[in-house]
Amino acid sequence: MSKQMSNVVMSAFVPGLGQFLLGERYRGLGIFLGFLAIVATTLWYGQPLWYLFPFLIWAWNLWDVFGLAAGQKHSVLLPLAFGLAAAYGIGWQVVEIDFSRAKVERAVAILRPMLQPDFIQPRRELNQMWVPVEVPCSSQPPAARREDAGRVATVTPDCGPVGETLLVKVTGLWPKTETNIFWQNPIGNPLMLGEGEIRMLTQMTDEEGALTTVIRVPTTALVAAPDPTLPQFHRVYFEQARPIGGYELSFIGNEVLKGALATVSMALMATGLAVLFAVPLSFLAARNLMSGNPVTYAIYLVVRTLLNILRSIESLIIAIVFVVIVGLGPFAGMLALALHSIAALGKLYSEVIEGIDPGPIEAIRATGANWLQVVRYAVIPQIIPPFTAFTIYRWDINVRSATVIGLVGGGGIGFLLIELIRVNNMRGVSAVFIAIAVIVIVLDYISAKLRERLV
Amino acid sequence: MLRIQNVSKTYPNGTQALKNVSFDVADGEFLVIIGLSGSGKSTLLRCINRLIEPTEGKIIWDDVDITAASPAELRKIRRTIGMVFQQFNLVKRSSVLTNVLSGRLGYANPWTSLLGIWPQEDIAQAMQALERVGIAEKAHSRADALSGGQQQRVGIARALMQNPKLILADEPVASLDPVLSHSILQYLEQLNKEGITVICSLHFLDLVHRYATRVVALKDGVKVFEGSAKEIDRAKFKEIYGEEAQEVRAASL
Ligand SMILES: Nc1ncnc2c1ncn2[C@@H]1O[C@H](COP(=O)(O)OP(=O)(O)OP(=O)(O)O)[C@@H](O)[C@H]1O
Ligand SMILES: [Mg+2]
Repeated sequence: MSKQMSNVVMSAFVPGLGQFLLGERYRGLGIFLGFLAIVATTLWYGQPLWYLFPFLIWAWNLWDVFGLAAGQKHSVLLPLAFGLAAAYGIGWQVVEIDFSRAKVERAVAILRPMLQPDFIQPRRELNQMWVPVEVPCSSQPPAARREDAGRVATVTPDCGPVGETLLVKVTGLWPKTETNIFWQNPIGNPLMLGEGEIRMLTQMTDEEGALTTVIRVPTTALVAAPDPTLPQFHRVYFEQARPIGGYELSFIGNEVLKGALATVSMALMATGLAVLFAVPLSFLAARNLMSGNPVTYAIYLVVRTLLNILRSIESLIIAIVFVVIVGLGPFAGMLALALHSIAALGKLYSEVIEGIDPGPIEAIRATGANWLQVVRYAVIPQIIPPFTAFTIYRWDINVRSATVIGLVGGGGIGFLLIELIRVNNMRGVSAVFIAIAVIVIVLDYISAKLRERLV
Repeated sequence: MLRIQNVSKTYPNGTQALKNVSFDVADGEFLVIIGLSGSGKSTLLRCINRLIEPTEGKIIWDDVDITAASPAELRKIRRTIGMVFQQFNLVKRSSVLTNVLSGRLGYANPWTSLLGIWPQEDIAQAMQALERVGIAEKAHSRADALSGGQQQRVGIARALMQNPKLILADEPVASLDPVLSHSILQYLEQLNKEGITVICSLHFLDLVHRYATRVVALKDGVKVFEGSAKEIDRAKFKEIYGEEAQEVRAASL
């Protein structure tokens, strides 16, 4: 048997061995280890299909050793591609990629309301009317009738227990207008009167502005009552709305604006607070100032290490800690951002100080200037513009972080977002998305413009 | 009269930059210091206004011992000694005018100067100084917007603001091309003719011949020559610059 064949046989049993013995040690070792790794992962996660790849590599290995023995070296691109394909396939499986789980209807259900962000609404005027009803009946119930500004509403009978059918009449409302009819218990909570008591009961008024309908005293009317046998006055409400031209901020829109303001100010406060601490710390963390003697050098090392550790903790995680300490709300988020920013700014500032040009300092000292004058004329002009630029940049970053920090209870627009997602208000969610995008784009632009002027 | 007496400087890392250097500089001289890179020229110039503290020796100027001066006295002495640097050492982000005005800091009110407020006469003097070096129109440009030659002229204007009796110039033209070198040195020569003593370190021998009234040469921190430029013959040249050295000319104008 030729030498060539013996190497091929060896590689057939132990991939890479033939190559190794032919003097291609790294190649042989690489093939062997690569083959082992792929076989191992295939065994671990394997679907039968993935065994194709170890087999392909094994086959290539034979071809390779055959070539090597004949004195020609093949490119290793092919086995690398096989290995990559195997890794990718297994990765696919590990990540549980399953596109069949993406349901178009669900996506549509979420995305359709998002096309109409709940931010503004047409300005409307309301026409509200109500009439008292006693539940349950007392011995002498007063008439369930009420007049107000030309509108008259009556209920018959005048009172009734839970589930009682009542005839409701109202006149003097706006004609030919859709009217919401709902119940209000004595503590002011609205209860639905429509289908299944979860839908709003609506009806059009006639040409005269009158409306007649039949309702049932809601099953939940007495849920909040301390003593369900005690007669109390509930109300039947009629509510009409009509556009009066123009638009106004919707309730959610208002919340979005408040949240946006809270987020931007949270970032602003955090940045301001961070600057107060970062400026002095940065001087302690500047190598060129602190390497003079062992004591200052020790301080330098401590401060720098602290800043590095603090910087490596994501502000989101610091926020979770602060939410526990100071409770939900923007204050917790602000503290978290501030702490993270102290570390980040301290590091950036100290690098500015380290990069300062000693030439002007020497020149100003040579003019007979005193220490303060040297700082004012040679140091400050060198550090203020980059300090300011870094601070603005940090504020910009903090605004982005602040939106995310809200998600863990740190207040601001992120908090609003998570609440809206929880109640499945996708129109509100969409308004928040737009607001975040606008904030980020606008601040990005402002911060870039400001920094441009400083450099 | 400036007397350098037995001045030595040893840096904290042990480098002996100056070894027992002594010489006198008479008022009105244009003294040029020559020597190889690392021979101690910059160290010597900085010892004179104590930007670097000499380890040993005395520097006496008009009977005042600079080396013994208190910090306050030292600032008073420094403000009459202008300094010009190879790298210009301007505050790059500040305006040319502010850079020139800062030459006045030793005289200015310490508090108002911190606020950046300058008396009218200082501003007028600064504009005059800029006019003198021919760049008055650049007064409000940022210093780093100027060319090297223009920056060095700002450096000279800054020194002029000190109404100096002495100007120390540390390789003022080493970063400039030959034509500019002459124009800068001519400003210094002009000031020297008006009575300001100039001590200047230079690299190119032809510039030394053209401007120096007297020459001091350093080699490894030791003074190896003192005399007029004409006295530097081939043998002296080899002694100062070493056997392999070849004379390089800046330019023959
Ligand atoms: N701050 C310092 N610490 C330690 N050694 C220094 C320091 N400054 C200069 N030296 C050393 O002192 C010696 C003299 O330096 P100096 O800068 O005075 O030389 P120079 O003649 O001005 O050189 P050049 O022509 O390159 O400017 C050199 O060996 C230099 O390495
Ligand atoms: Mg030098």
